[in-house]
Amino acid sequence: MEFFTKFPVMERSALAEFRKSIDFAFRDFSRAYGDGIEAFFDPLLYFLVWLEKLMMNSPWPIIIGIICGLAWMASKSWKLVLGAAISFFLIGYFGMWKDCMATVAIITVCVIICMTIGIPMGVIMARSNRAERTILPVLDMMQTIPSFVYLIPILMLLGIGKVPGLIAICIYAVPPIIRLTNLGIREVDKETIEASEAFGATKLQKLRTVQIPLALPTVFAGVNQTIMMALAMVVIASMIGVKGLGVPILRAVLNQYLALGLFNGLAIVALAIIFDRAAQEYGRRIQKHRGIKR
Amino acid sequence: MKIKNIILSALVVLGFTSFSGVANAGCGKLVIAEQNWASAELMANVDKIILEKGYGCEVELVPGATMPTFTSMNDKGTPDMNPEQWANAVYEPLKVAVSEKRIFVANKAPITGLGEGWWITPGTVEKYPQIKGMTALEILEHPEWFPDKEDPSRGAFVGCPAGWGCQLANANLFVAYEMEKKGWNLIDPGSAAGLDGTISKASDSGKPWFGYYWNPTSMVGKYGLIPVPFGVDFAGRDNWDNCIMKPAGECANPKQTAWTKSEVNSLITKSFVDNGGKEAVAYVEKRTYPGDIMNGMLVYMADNQAKGSDAAVEFLKKHEDLWGKWVSSSAKKKIKAGL
Repeated sequence: MEFFTKFPVMERSALAEFRKSIDFAFRDFSRAYGDGIEAFFDPLLYFLVWLEKLMMNSPWPIIIGIICGLAWMASKSWKLVLGAAISFFLIGYFGMWKDCMATVAIITVCVIICMTIGIPMGVIMARSNRAERTILPVLDMMQTIPSFVYLIPILMLLGIGKVPGLIAICIYAVPPIIRLTNLGIREVDKETIEASEAFGATKLQKLRTVQIPLALPTVFAGVNQTIMMALAMVVIASMIGVKGLGVPILRAVLNQYLALGLFNGLAIVALAIIFDRAAQEYGRRIQKHRGIKR
Repeated sequence: MKIKNIILSALVVLGFTSFSGVANAGCGKLVIAEQNWASAELMANVDKIILEKGYGCEVELVPGATMPTFTSMNDKGTPDMNPEQWANAVYEPLKVAVSEKRIFVANKAPITGLGEGWWITPGTVEKYPQIKGMTALEILEHPEWFPDKEDPSRGAFVGCPAGWGCQLANANLFVAYEMEKKGWNLIDPGSAAGLDGTISKASDSGKPWFGYYWNPTSMVGKYGLIPVPFGVDFAGRDNWDNCIMKPAGECANPKQTAWTKSEVNSLITKSFVDNGGKEAVAYVEKRTYPGDIMNGMLVYMADNQAKGSDAAVEFLKKHEDLWGKWVSSSAKKKIKAGL
């Protein structure tokens, strides 16, 4: 009877030993290779620091001008440009300018990294079924594993600061772009591909001139999702010492400062909406050029 | 017949209970708070074992935390004892409760060498031996010893995570000691895990580290953190309470000061005195954990992921010469036999 009511558990001391051995093995690993890995990421850190300083020290009208210019180039919509200008002005007016710039800097770098890793990965997945079968479960894991769990090893390996924060954000934000690149390329019309093959296109030509252009709207949806998820991670990243809008939110949560939390939370929302609308409009305009209706 | 039986058995029961009461030599039922951090868990469990085995008390542990436990002891008179009450958190109400004789401070310093403040890692001393014996004021002249990874021209001082009370204190001290001008950056580690991460990272790689921490903790014990004297005296409660502990905007002229003294007490209620008896109170008054032994136990708990009850047994086995002095020789024998 006892067998059914009591779950067969590993013996307590053995379990403790098991956990300890994992902890110690990782600690030895991080002691041995932590500095090397850290040095590997140094160029990235310098770039991040440089970008953040540049954005913080540039006069604010120039930054707002650049952001509005980018929004205009992406969307060609006056409404969005005006909205961006107003929200950035309000963010600055409520004293969140520096934090906001730090967040924009790290999110920008994150999205660039996610794109440079994610799009090639998506292409590989689209070309090989075996790659898809192996990568998909990893992506599932990356999206569902609680971020605090991988914060611990990142912290042990790289300490606190921008680079570990960046890695934490990327782990969470990169899956959608991989998934949607894969999906977009796989969804390209078979007959179109056959036609290109009939004209003797090489694999690379096929990819460059047929598959990627036709998949672009879906890829853009992936970029969009990546931006959103990166912004959602800003608060978690602040827990390992990333400056930005997440820090005041943490302070607000721990001290029940309603207004402080609300302001900074809304600032993140504003950033998200501006990025989202600009990217969406850009994607739609690309489709228009190609005469595809959806 | 029946009635006779009942009376008889009742008499037997009565006699039995009164007999056991005599055997307990005046110690009855006690409720002790087991607060939710390592050192408090350990102390509560050691008290439980010693009072039960040595003095024949019947001890029940109830979970607790600084504020709820104190409020309950103050208002309802239960639990009977809080082995580790951080007194600054309950400064005013405790004064009232003591003056009204509802609560007694049985032990003013159950742990020695505790407190908050600024610390350096042993790796720092290895790299810059001249730092030994330096005060914070002197260390602040050398930001180049602690380069900030993200801004290597300046020194990194690791403060408190956003939202903690000590974050305000560190930010104001940062101003008071003119650290900005001296070339320091105040690093916000973001969370307790982040703060601990900076220490273990720096210690593991032998890099210098300078920042805020507190004692007793397993981190201090594990990495042998060295407290740094401030080099100035405590500049008064008024400066501390009304400026240093306030948000940056509300503290225009913070004065240079040492960290406020932390006080930990073992508090007991009147019912502990009544139920526990003189000997139990005498034990609580005597038991003092030296800081390094407490830290050693905390490291043991962290390394083995041990609960308070396991750690208490380990403590009693390992440090007999220490707790042997807290109890009478007859109690010591009984405790040893009971382990």
